[in-house]
Amino acid sequence: MTGVGALLGKLAGAVSPKATVWQIDPAKCLRCGKCADHCVLEQSAVKCVHAYAICGYCDLCTGYFGPEPTELNTAAENQYCPTAAIQRRFVEDPYYQYAIDETLCIGCAKCVDGCNRYGNGSLFLQVRHDRCVNCNECSIARVCPGDAFVRVPVEQPYLIKTTPTTS
Amino acid sequence: MKKFSFKDPIQRREFLRGGVRYGMLAGLAAAAARAVSNGGGRLADQTCTNKGICDGCVEYPACELPQALSARQAKAAPNSGGAYEEILRIPGSDTPSLHLEIGPDDRLYLATGNAIIVMSQEGVREREIALEAQARCVAVAKDGTLFAGLRDHVEVFDPKGARIAMWESPGPRTWLTGLAVGESDLFAADAGGRVVLRYDLAGKLVGRIGEKNEERDIPGFVIPSPYFSVRIHPDGLLRVNNPGRHRVEAYTFEGEFAGAWGKASGLIDGFCGCCNPTRIALLPDGRMVTCEKGMPRVKIYSITGEFESVVAPAAAFPKNVKVGPGERSIGASLVGVAAATDSRGRIAILDHITGEIRILQPTALGRV
Repeated sequence: MTGVGALLGKLAGAVSPKATVWQIDPAKCLRCGKCADHCVLEQSAVKCVHAYAICGYCDLCTGYFGPEPTELNTAAENQYCPTAAIQRRFVEDPYYQYAIDETLCIGCAKCVDGCNRYGNGSLFLQVRHDRCVNCNECSIARVCPGDAFVRVPVEQPYLIKTTPTTS
Repeated sequence: MKKFSFKDPIQRREFLRGGVRYGMLAGLAAAAARAVSNGGGRLADQTCTNKGICDGCVEYPACELPQALSARQAKAAPNSGGAYEEILRIPGSDTPSLHLEIGPDDRLYLATGNAIIVMSQEGVREREIALEAQARCVAVAKDGTLFAGLRDHVEVFDPKGARIAMWESPGPRTWLTGLAVGESDLFAADAGGRVVLRYDLAGKLVGRIGEKNEERDIPGFVIPSPYFSVRIHPDGLLRVNNPGRHRVEAYTFEGEFAGAWGKASGLIDGFCGCCNPTRIALLPDGRMVTCEKGMPRVKIYSITGEFESVVAPAAAFPKNVKVGPGERSIGASLVGVAAATDSRGRIAILDHITGEIRILQPTALGRV
């Protein structure tokens, strides 16, 4: 009986899946904006994150400013982000640091689009696991046009951009 | 409940007041709806639905994004579509190409993979110069000596392609992206160090140009990504692109700041995005050719910096425009385009995404 129990336990360990979580592959993300609308949570678990090592700290940041801003300041009409979730802070002339306030970020990817279209691509979307409820079938993954949602090991839950894509 | 009677003056008054009140509210709501439907929202609310490609896009007629504004302006501008015409397109290979130069012999020098390929403007390969690593910039002297910038140092080759010198690297942060060779100097644009290095032709570093210096009124270069080039203008000054400041700057060989022009704008006469122009080239008469990424386009400016014409708009690079600088593009290390000019005023454009080289010559409109 003990042997049978041990055998059953070994089989159970062999067939049980490793713990995985959902994550967005930045290389596949199309910045379509569906992450903001399709999460089962009222405020999406997808947030923009910033890879500072890649950022150019530009005065005219195309992830922060909308097209043709009237002036390079923090006025609401100049910001691309619909919720003013990006904090712009002067570092030294002419460099500015851009930080994401996740309590305001809705994961709409507007800033990610601007940053990747013209800039170095330091802004990208990630599923935040302090918010995500890890649905068996992610409603965003179901509609993602780039198939960017992948399962990753829970030990390494984030896919971080570490270097710019230019060389 | 008291029955309503219009004959009762008090009830009639209350009825009319309520009617006016709700009528005003309805009118305000209608006005707001009209404003929204007419596109009264902020420009920032618009997002591109066709990956930056205006041609064939159903939203294009009413679109107010910079790409669409630029495309409409380019069509309306007197020289657009007429200043230059494409006469040849050389297909690209699978190997990424980082730089294109035209030598004084009007041959093309293409830095691709670990080699520099020398070819005629008809695309006929003449020889290949093997390198130990990728070259990111190339310059050819009048005697045929070739200078190649390999990330952090310069290597020198004789006209037959044999290496004759390897210069010392200025430092670990060096990232060479542009070279210009004169009678007795070689200038190297170092994107990593944000400086233009001046060498004598023996390889001795004799000067550093463009480093931030408030006393000399030099603002310093802002280089968020490795797009930085230098040219020797016929007027004896250097021309350097400062992409983070959206302008082209002039310096003496000794490093004195001699002026600048350019502005940040998505419109046709400005430089789009966060950091453009990415590269510059010079026509024989001194006019400047600029290249941009994000919205890849090639334009010509006068010697004094006035916009003159579009050589190739973003619509001419449909695959390139889909790939922003921040995205991974399979097989390509750089995005955007690079341009070089020859002695006849022709312009060769390298598309980093497709690897194609386009040869364009000036039309009657484009000739000065």
